[in-house]
Amino acid sequence: MDFLLDYFEWALFLFLLALGFFAGRFLERRHYRSIRQREKKLAKVLTFATRFPPNLVDPQDCRLVSGCVVISSDYFKQFVASLRNLVGGRFRGYETLLDRARREAILRMKEDARRAGYYLIVNVKIENTSIAGGRQGAMPSFELFAYGTALKPSKHAV
Amino acid sequence: MQFENRAPDEHVNYSIEHPLKEFAWLVGGVLGSLLILTLLVGFFAGELAARLPYRYEKALAGEMAGQLVGKTPDPRSAAIEQELNRLAARIAAHLPLPEGMQVTVHYQDTPELNAFATLGANIVIYQGLLARMPDENTLAMVLAHEMAHAQLRHPARSLGRGVAVGIMLSALNSGMGRSAAGGALSTTGGISLLKFSRDQEREADAAALAAIAALYQHVGGAQDLFRVLESAGAGSEDLRVSMLSTHPLSHERIDHVAALARERGWAADGARTPLPAILIH
Repeated sequence: MDFLLDYFEWALFLFLLALGFFAGRFLERRHYRSIRQREKKLAKVLTFATRFPPNLVDPQDCRLVSGCVVISSDYFKQFVASLRNLVGGRFRGYETLLDRARREAILRMKEDARRAGYYLIVNVKIENTSIAGGRQGAMPSFELFAYGTALKPSKHAV
Repeated sequence: MQFENRAPDEHVNYSIEHPLKEFAWLVGGVLGSLLILTLLVGFFAGELAARLPYRYEKALAGEMAGQLVGKTPDPRSAAIEQELNRLAARIAAHLPLPEGMQVTVHYQDTPELNAFATLGANIVIYQGLLARMPDENTLAMVLAHEMAHAQLRHPARSLGRGVAVGIMLSALNSGMGRSAAGGALSTTGGISLLKFSRDQEREADAAALAAIAALYQHVGGAQDLFRVLESAGAGSEDLRVSMLSTHPLSHERIDHVAALARERGWAADGARTPLPAILIH
């Protein structure tokens, strides 16, 4: 017990590192499972980065659809990233973080479209914002915002 | 025309490598190179500091001397201090002190079993250690050992090493934006900064022994000193002071001293000089 008190800072650091590693890994795996499952489910909602749908012939109804996600790093990923800062290279931990965020934002956009009865989204764009504001020592967290124009054949043909 | 959005390739945008593998490489690599860098910077800064002319160390120490002495000593402590300085002056005649170095002994009336040398050839001896001195020869070995540290510029080396490593670590720390990793790194760097190394203690023992041999024509007090330290260390827990933890083990030092005496042909023992009355407790 005395040992813990003497090395309280170290004990706390190791605890946070282990917490970040195990909790972060658990959540990340669960999130990926959910993402893959929902991507299959929403595969019918098509997304295109082009400004116009590939086969635009009929008049269309359109609507802005969007999906937004805020995601934060964990203590373990941040610690590894701060060491990575010294030597350079791939931020592997942040790659999965942003991959999940992008896919989650697109999924939410697709859900938004499907709820309104749209199955085609064009002009899809993704914006990101760092919301930790670059403050020193702050845990990196990001907002990813996906938006696009949902189209469906108009019922009121001109 | 039929379109579909295919499922993304799971191996392109991110790595499926286990995160602990990257962690192990980074921590091992960064801490390992930091350790090497700390040792190198510390070594060269220490060597550099020891080569600075003594007058710079003295100027720096002048500012610290006030804190070292603290309050003005009572008349008895002042008399003890005077007697200690008289003995130190006799030892100094047999030590090759650098040009301009004037040893000053300070006496602290507290029960710690300790004595140390610091910048500007200032030596502090505590009442706890003084009270255990059986004769003048043993006390002379304590003073000669601390004076040898000053002569060999060990305090300057320690300071140079400490300052250089400190600057390096704080630069690294601010470069990393005071992150968790930075904090962990500076703690690791700090561990490698001991006050004096064991080699320095051995060096000081050897130089002190030569002075004692020249002063008394035998080295009788030296082994007694280590026996005093050893018995105190083995006894009460309170007496396990810093001196015992950083110094080489006492029986090793006894052997080292005996070997040196044989090698140089100094008499192992001889007539002991009693302590002056004022120093007897």
